[in-house]
Amino acid sequence: MKIITCFKVVPEEQDIAIKADGELSFDRAKPTISAYDLNGVEAGAQLLEECGGELIALSAGAGSIDSPKLKKNILSRGPGSLAMVADDRLQGLDTHQTAEVLKAAIEKIGEYDLILCGEGSSDLYAQQVGPQLGQLLNIPAINAISKITAADGKIVVQRTLENEVETLEITLPALVTVTTDINLPRIATMNHILAAGKKPSTVWALEDIGIPEPPRTIEVIDTRAPRQVERKQDIVEGDTDDAIQEFISKLSAVLAK
Amino acid sequence: MRIIVLAETQKALTELCAGASQISAQVEAVIIGDRLKPAADTIWHIPAQENALLEDYTETIAALIKQEQPGLVIVEPTKRYKLIAGRIAALLGTSVITDILELGEDLAAERMVYGGAALRTEKAASGCTIAMAGSGLWKAGTATETAVREEKTVQFIEPGIRVKRIAREEKESMAVDLPGARVVVGVGRGIAEQKDLEMIRQLARAVNGEIGCTRPIAEAEKWMPKETYLGVSGLMIAPEIYIAIGISGQIQHTVGINRSKLVIAVNKEKNAPIFKQSDYGIVGDLYKVVPALLKHFG
Amino acid sequence: MPDERFDVIVVGAGIAGTVAACLLGREGLQVLLIERGNYPGSKNMTGGRIYSHSLEKIMPGFAKEAPVERKITREKVFMMTEKSSMGLDFQSSLLGMPGSDSYSVLRGVFDQWLAEKAEEAGVEIVTGICVDKLIMRDGKVGGVIAGTDQLEARVTILADGVNSLLAQQAGLRQEFKPSHVAVGVKELIELPAELIQERFQCNETEGTACMFAGFPSGGRTGGGFLYTNKESVSLGVVCTLSDLIKGPKTVPQLMEDFKAHPAVAPLIKGGRLVEYSGHLVPEGGWEMMPRLIGGGVLVAGDAAGFCVNLGYAVRGMDFAVASGECAARAVIEAGQGGDYSESDLQIYKAYLEESFVLQDMKLYRKFPHFLETTPRIFSDYPGLLEGIMAELFVMDGQPSRTLLKTMMKHADKVGLLKIAGDAWKGARSI
Repeated sequence: MKIITCFKVVPEEQDIAIKADGELSFDRAKPTISAYDLNGVEAGAQLLEECGGELIALSAGAGSIDSPKLKKNILSRGPGSLAMVADDRLQGLDTHQTAEVLKAAIEKIGEYDLILCGEGSSDLYAQQVGPQLGQLLNIPAINAISKITAADGKIVVQRTLENEVETLEITLPALVTVTTDINLPRIATMNHILAAGKKPSTVWALEDIGIPEPPRTIEVIDTRAPRQVERKQDIVEGDTDDAIQEFISKLSAVLAK
Repeated sequence: MRIIVLAETQKALTELCAGASQISAQVEAVIIGDRLKPAADTIWHIPAQENALLEDYTETIAALIKQEQPGLVIVEPTKRYKLIAGRIAALLGTSVITDILELGEDLAAERMVYGGAALRTEKAASGCTIAMAGSGLWKAGTATETAVREEKTVQFIEPGIRVKRIAREEKESMAVDLPGARVVVGVGRGIAEQKDLEMIRQLARAVNGEIGCTRPIAEAEKWMPKETYLGVSGLMIAPEIYIAIGISGQIQHTVGINRSKLVIAVNKEKNAPIFKQSDYGIVGDLYKVVPALLKHFG
Repeated sequence: MPDERFDVIVVGAGIAGTVAACLLGREGLQVLLIERGNYPGSKNMTGGRIYSHSLEKIMPGFAKEAPVERKITREKVFMMTEKSSMGLDFQSSLLGMPGSDSYSVLRGVFDQWLAEKAEEAGVEIVTGICVDKLIMRDGKVGGVIAGTDQLEARVTILADGVNSLLAQQAGLRQEFKPSHVAVGVKELIELPAELIQERFQCNETEGTACMFAGFPSGGRTGGGFLYTNKESVSLGVVCTLSDLIKGPKTVPQLMEDFKAHPAVAPLIKGGRLVEYSGHLVPEGGWEMMPRLIGGGVLVAGDAAGFCVNLGYAVRGMDFAVASGECAARAVIEAGQGGDYSESDLQIYKAYLEESFVLQDMKLYRKFPHFLETTPRIFSDYPGLLEGIMAELFVMDGQPSRTLLKTMMKHADKVGLLKIAGDAWKGARSI
């Protein structure tokens, strides 16, 4: 099976700082692979082990995603090769733009059987790129997948929804987005990391995949820390009988509605 | 402004139509078959197709939207509709704004990003805005049922892309409406054993509330269903009263509840972050405090 | 899986390991540097400050390029009791001379820079991997084992820190005694640069190092420290493990009390805690040094116990750099016509003895024991000093006494003979 697994490079969330004015600072937030995409990569690696073939990791973003550390990281998790569209014109893309770029990259890669995506990116979690990409490629696209079994020319998947679990049969080529329930991404071993440095990787600019800068469909007006609601912080210390009574009387006044 | 509502459950359909009618006099709902009761000014009726999955109506709905050009399409945030809306957006050349918490008059939408660390305000660059409501966007108030003025039938378009469903199993779901509850009691790692949840359930009943939990309780311990997890990538609620029992108050949880009108916390650690986010609280052992609360309020 | 063999595997991308790897990479050897943390420096901690002389030797002018914090041009040493602090304050441009200066550093940032230098020299670095075992063949180390992966190397350098389990496995070291290590905790407290400059009276590039004895470690062997960084202050306490076990206060409690001390609190007022870390520190000196050389293996840095704590100065990183350099030189030398047997590698010891590393370790060999057996330094002497100072400076209207009588009154409480004995022992151990 020839599988393309898409991943997004996101800033390390815990290092995003909030400035005094509520604006965000990404200065210390190093680029890392979105956690939910690792489930997609692992799903691809497991399918590869099961039925052989090829697993290609694919990402699109600003020029900075073309980083030796990131490439080594993704290649140590199962893919046999890596393709990237790294171009500074691809900063802060909305989901439609991302899908357009990935589509062009996939068309450049050529034939494929299956495309895997995480359910959403860990930073913005719109959960839209998979569905958009599938539609643009005109192939069956399904989300919320918690199990994939390969069969001849198709896959059988388990899809976990709010009130039901459905089993679907999807003819290839197809795209699925996987949830975190599907697997536990492997931890790269020393030899995997060493081997990663030798695997092939291709880096493209927009011109190489033959599309212009896709037009913006969403305007981001503002991103800032939510205003902290001023709370009373009327806290009773201690749980002696008296303290508890004090607490209860405060609550009674407030809950008596 | 014309608003088209897409929903697959009755509750969401009614709520979203009621909410939409507060900002527009022209609310239109897409209804497939006759499973759902209409609640909008105009109904776009797509005849139910045999053996069709909801996804099979994607092209039909997309064509309708393209043709009718509403200002806003508001969608119920189910997994199916996340897929369908995304496919529709691809067909229309736009993006969906998902899990929105607020919608402004100019259709600028607010949503949480970066794991709850920030609020992002964004809007469609042009054309129609497709937005998915987050839980509790337009609160279920007294939703007055709108009199349907018009009903139109939509021509079904055969889907070019289809998948086959070969099996289906109902999942045990919590018949609980946390986003709609007036009072919610949240429980966290302060609870030592699963059986102790019974005491919390009693408390919730005593205050006429529902129960939610923090992520470890749902995902690690699995003592409560995932659907009751309050926090980023879980439920975001804004009840009148939120009572946090044995919850330390990490940001991943508090972003899910800090729009509550009143927050009350019980935790035995003086320095637990939850207290900074609370209006009232007590630094004490919940195994002492909760029984006392039950005695008083029960 | 690769069946390549590396010339050298270095375990631990702290300062000793990275310096050794870098120098060997520069020589054209195939070097693999394995770090257990997610990035070099993530598991490392210093008070702290690096004395630059040994790194300057290998990377001249490094301070202009490396992410160092402030150049330390002011040294303060205090004896502290619960109520008081009495100190020495040395401020001088003599402290900031190129080649003999020192810089406050933050390891997470500094070590990553050093690792980049190693990568530039062609070293392959693997992070997030813990080496569990060494490949042993007839008493000679042939490489490393991490999980299910084995990797061969002609020689292995163990720079895996104070509690080197691998050195133990290779039979080079025993389990250390509680008196050989200390527990250090540190808070990184963010403060605006201008405020730091105001409170510590320095300019934007310079700063202060402070050492405190007595109260910070609860009157037990250890101390407190404070270093100014660009936009933060490193503040912490260290307490020897054997004493900590005996004492009533926990380390977090020692830290809280230290922060609240009237001599410390105003310095960090309004600051924001951004990082809390803890680490073991080698304190045993010469007595705790393991065997440094085996067949196919060398031990460097903290793993070799190369740390000297003199109370007024703490040195670890400069020793790490120098021992990394000696290890690299030894590997290069031993590789010429040898096969890295234990005798081939003896040149490592010779290089260490030639440098300040073993000479200083030897010089100060008695000091840790002196500290351990003279608890008065941390309990009675600060009190003694406090008493004398109070007599000198507090004017309560009572008729005065001579200076000598004043001092004797307090000294007698401790015991003149004891003081004399301690002074003698102390002077000889330093």
